[in-house]
Amino acid sequence: MASDGPAIAHGEWHPRGSSRSLPASLLERAGRLAVRDETGAELAGGSLSSIEISSRVGRIPRRITFPDGSLFETVDNDAIDRFLAGKGCAREGIVHRLERFHPRLIAFVAATILLGALIYRLALPALVEVAVAVTPPIVPRIMSASTLETMDQTLLGESKLDEARRGRILDGFRRIVAESSGGEAGYTLNFRKGGAVGPNAFALPDGTLILTDELVELAGDDTEMIVGVLAHEIGHVEHKHSLRQIYRAAGVAALIMLIAGDIGSGAEDVLVQGGGLLSLSYSRSAEAEADRHSVELMMKAGLDPTAIARFFELLEAKLDDHSETSIFSTHPGTPERRKAILDMIAELRNPNR
Amino acid sequence: MTLAEPLSAQTVGQGSFGRSADRDFQRLSFSGSASEYFGIWVVNILLTILTLGIYSAWAKVRRNRYFYGNTVLLGRAFEYHARGWQILIGRLIVFAYLVLYNVMLTFVPLVGIALSVLLLFFVPWLLARGLRFSARVTSYRNVRFDFVGRAGGAFVAFIVGPVLAALTLGILAPLASRWSYRYIGNNLRYGRKAFATDPSVGQIYRNWAISAAIIVLGFLIVGFVVALNSALIATAIENPDFAEMVEMQASLTLLIVLGYVLILSIFGVAGLVYRAGVRNVAWSATTFDGRHRLLSDLSRLRYTWIAVSNFVVTLVTLGLMRPWAAVRMARYVNEHTAVRFDGNVGEILSAIEAEGSAVGAEFMDIEGFDFGF
Repeated sequence: MASDGPAIAHGEWHPRGSSRSLPASLLERAGRLAVRDETGAELAGGSLSSIEISSRVGRIPRRITFPDGSLFETVDNDAIDRFLAGKGCAREGIVHRLERFHPRLIAFVAATILLGALIYRLALPALVEVAVAVTPPIVPRIMSASTLETMDQTLLGESKLDEARRGRILDGFRRIVAESSGGEAGYTLNFRKGGAVGPNAFALPDGTLILTDELVELAGDDTEMIVGVLAHEIGHVEHKHSLRQIYRAAGVAALIMLIAGDIGSGAEDVLVQGGGLLSLSYSRSAEAEADRHSVELMMKAGLDPTAIARFFELLEAKLDDHSETSIFSTHPGTPERRKAILDMIAELRNPNR
Repeated sequence: MTLAEPLSAQTVGQGSFGRSADRDFQRLSFSGSASEYFGIWVVNILLTILTLGIYSAWAKVRRNRYFYGNTVLLGRAFEYHARGWQILIGRLIVFAYLVLYNVMLTFVPLVGIALSVLLLFFVPWLLARGLRFSARVTSYRNVRFDFVGRAGGAFVAFIVGPVLAALTLGILAPLASRWSYRYIGNNLRYGRKAFATDPSVGQIYRNWAISAAIIVLGFLIVGFVVALNSALIATAIENPDFAEMVEMQASLTLLIVLGYVLILSIFGVAGLVYRAGVRNVAWSATTFDGRHRLLSDLSRLRYTWIAVSNFVVTLVTLGLMRPWAAVRMARYVNEHTAVRFDGNVGEILSAIEAEGSAVGAEFMDIEGFDFGF
């Protein structure tokens, strides 16, 4: 044995690019690291700055690469760590030290859950708000134009409404848009034959409103009711619900994607489905917001704010819809919604109650 | 396009699964532990969240180093060499592309559609590069793997195959499986030597038949349950009173959820059984350097049980048992994978030299695209 002190660690040495290996030991010799075989002959060596020591992960073998491309591999991780600590390179293994099985991991789990919840509850909505704020107005315009074009070509048809009826609806519509923040210029009302979409009204993000003949039929002579429904749709536009929905979905998908490798494919699918359910609950709260908007707008315009509630009553009667809210529905249950609207009206009429 | 030449028939394995002669087969093992991986796992997620996702690339490196480094064959472990930045750059490119694509789809739908068609042509190339990257950053005994497959083969294996399988309702899925295993197995290199595989379609179809039977049986059960409930609905329609309506709503919702879960689990179980069976067929039909045989002898039932129970336990513990589940699966799969060397193992394993082109080439490589992202 040579007289240069004890070995730091024992392991295997490979020449550059070869699978051939020799049992060897690692030692320090005059300020440089060297690998020596069982006879004491030096196989490779280099100064500490010229060799590369792989970072520690669990108990997997440690690799030390020398300038000549040869490799020393050892399972004695602790010995290498002690050697590095003695050389003042202790900060190298910081991540590994965090990962060690230790009661402190409980705190990490708690921190992870807390941070995850905070991101979902605070950071994500905040990011969505920022994204909505910086979205130039041209984006919703282009989105809406292409959506309307697509719908016209696939689902909707020419409206068959007579002029008088159209005029009455447009009058009411003008009264409410005059009170809304977008003003008359911000909204256009389009009449279409619903076909597959049936009695319906919807708003595109740039303030294009679409009203189907079937809904007008359903309302009969109650024009105010239709105006109430339109006010509800204006609420969706003013609160930018559709943009928010898009950004939220993108944010949730990105969050799931980033930790995908660490949770396994099955759990990832469950998270994606769960995200879908959560976005439904978001759209329910959006509906409630739009209902409230309808009530306020109708009051300001001096129209009957219960109009939208009457519409739900009608839906219930005509379509026999007694559905209760569940987490699987996009719209709040009809009876529940009617009650909420009546409460809102009472609250707005006597605010000092 | 460039599918490898068919092999001679003698390499088609007739492995007797579950009863392999252990004397001459060297099994892989897994030396990791759930408690050790738990720390790595939780720190990965915590740092990924803290760095707004940037650390996820380094998290992947540490996770793969742990699993590769604990996969042991003949007393020596595999090693994963990718650097965090190589994965980060790849992810940033994918992310930038997605952003660009969505913006374009919004503004100029035509360009957006053109981009998605372009991607369809790019995906095979990206997949081939991703496989090459993964192979080149993997080594065993100081010698790296390499992958020489081209985009054309990836197109057949990963796009034509799955589309064909979907269009034929899974009837041609075995062909797709065969193509993808052949694409990977015939283009993988270790040192200067090649792997070769030619899984027989007949054997894959035997596995496929079991999965098909599971799906048919499952749907018969679901159909039976639906038939039972349609009777319930019919009675409700005959005497409609409000309280019962509400009750029916609730039970209907529950039924829809149950049906959804049931159908998903039928397909899940059938898929797992199929996956294990095909892996056995394909690995056992693989040779290295023309004379060393590979073997996979997973029990289909046990593999499915481990995957399903892993999933349930992970879900019930809100993810906390995920490290245990991952280690459990890695251990099972490794212990049922083996190599039989033809000749003196020591001599064979010391005579392998790295391929000149693969060494150092990965320093210029980035991970463009991988299945997980």
